[in-house]
Amino acid sequence: MEYILTTDSLIKRYGNFQALSGLSMHVPKGAIYGFVGRNGSGKTTLIRLICGLQQPTSGRYTLYGIEHNKREIFKSRRRMSGVVETPSIYLDMTATDNLKEQYRVLGMPSFDGIPALLELVGLESAGKKKAKNFSLGMRQRLGIAIALASDPDFLILDEPINGLDPYGIIEMRELILKLNRERQITVLISSHILDELSRLATHYGFIDGGHMIKEISAEELEAACQKCLRVEVSDTKALARVLDSIGLEYNILSDTNADIYGKVSVTQLAMDLVKENCELLSMQEREESLESYYVSLLGGGSHE
Amino acid sequence: MSKLLSANFDRLKRSKIFWICMAFLFAFGSFTVLTYYMTVRKYGFPIYLDNSLMIYTTFIGVLLAVFCSLFVGTEYSDGTIRNKLIVGHSRISVYLSYLVVCVVAGLLMCLAYLASILAIGIPLLGFFQMDLKWVCILTLTAFSLSIAFSALFTMLALLNQSKALVAVLSILGAFLLLFAGTYIYARLNEPEIFEGYSYTDDTGETITEEAQPNPNYLRGTQRRIYEFLYDFLPGGQATQLSNQSVEHPWRLILYSSVITVSTTGLGILFFRRKDLK
Repeated sequence: MEYILTTDSLIKRYGNFQALSGLSMHVPKGAIYGFVGRNGSGKTTLIRLICGLQQPTSGRYTLYGIEHNKREIFKSRRRMSGVVETPSIYLDMTATDNLKEQYRVLGMPSFDGIPALLELVGLESAGKKKAKNFSLGMRQRLGIAIALASDPDFLILDEPINGLDPYGIIEMRELILKLNRERQITVLISSHILDELSRLATHYGFIDGGHMIKEISAEELEAACQKCLRVEVSDTKALARVLDSIGLEYNILSDTNADIYGKVSVTQLAMDLVKENCELLSMQEREESLESYYVSLLGGGSHE
Repeated sequence: MSKLLSANFDRLKRSKIFWICMAFLFAFGSFTVLTYYMTVRKYGFPIYLDNSLMIYTTFIGVLLAVFCSLFVGTEYSDGTIRNKLIVGHSRISVYLSYLVVCVVAGLLMCLAYLASILAIGIPLLGFFQMDLKWVCILTLTAFSLSIAFSALFTMLALLNQSKALVAVLSILGAFLLLFAGTYIYARLNEPEIFEGYSYTDDTGETITEEAQPNPNYLRGTQRRIYEFLYDFLPGGQATQLSNQSVEHPWRLILYSSVITVSTTGLGILFFRRKDLK
């Protein structure tokens, strides 16, 4: 697998505090990599290191295969961009002027792409408004537009949906998916809003205490998350007899509710229950969420 | 670095604080010349354009402290310095691009003052009485002082991420340098001997006081240290230029260059290692 970013045993200390303790991660090309961890777990520290805002105390990372301490890393960085913590925008400039400024920083000869960029992030009608009058969501989108000005193929977004309203969250999600699918941009998103991340990410990295606990693809995560069928019946004793005879695993929750694990033939189950004079009242497919997976992962004692 | 310079100069054109400083120096130059002209008209004794040539050096340090701290500090407060580093500009390029813009801004402020005294002063007070070569040397000395101030305040602004703190420290520093310059000037101008004098008291008796050595007069190594600081410190240079008591202009230019190079070297050294947020 081709990786855009790899880190190996990265350590970052601030005085006596160790923010990253031997973090290793791998971001595959084309992925939306969800970087998950609680507050203070080291997500932003790692992003600062990758973006060249800080230097690691020890360890190494590579961007497009170039090691961070090589001179060529500056060339690699030209292929990436990001929004670290708060959007980096001049508050006393308009959205258009902010983009012009970034175009100059990048040495781009023409400003022709600016209207398209503003349209891409949904700010086409706010181009002449000063950024200090923007809402948080608009600032986030302008920050992303600035990050996209260099036409990067690796985009880092640090907590991009923090503080957004529900509509803003949906827009941000659609934008990230669009960038990934239509422009083939690899995206690294740090977040602790797991429900939202689960709608986007193709790969996950779970970090805690500056240490990578687990890296997993969305497919692997789905397989790892046990699915079950929650049924409501008139008599769970009768249900237990039926499930024992079929040979399915189950968990009785109450006199009327139970979870059934494994693949169930609903028709056969209903017919067998009728024979036992048990009424099938409702059924619902349930699966372990990213949240519960994350909680069980963190609560799992020692981690690799 | 040309890309960064292009971006920073565009910001300079839009910078309100830059245009306020420019306007202040232009207005101050005009005010100085007009005041001299009115004095000439009222009292009849001559005041030449020469007197107004270097007065602005008293203010240039404070103005550059304000400008550099706010102009560079905005990059930290708005977080936009990150946009430059993330896309692959080296820290040295980023540092030098801010330095160049601050230096140019400082020189333009000097020119704004000079333009106003020349445009208004020559018609009202006539041309310079002093040798034109000396005018050029003094102007060059003032420019090198402005560059040294820019380098000093750019370093402060880039090594501290708190815009407000940098602004306070820079302005305070600029005033301290000026006070230090004035104090050193006063100490160096202490008379070596208090002259003897005679006076008649209330009883009609004539009392004669003998000449006495001044205990505050600086001698030996102490005097040489004060002289060195008067020439070396930007505050001392500003004092010399504003009262036009410059004796060794090339030495002042050399010291300003030393300050510019050393603050820039130190600034780059620490900025390269600095953890940015």
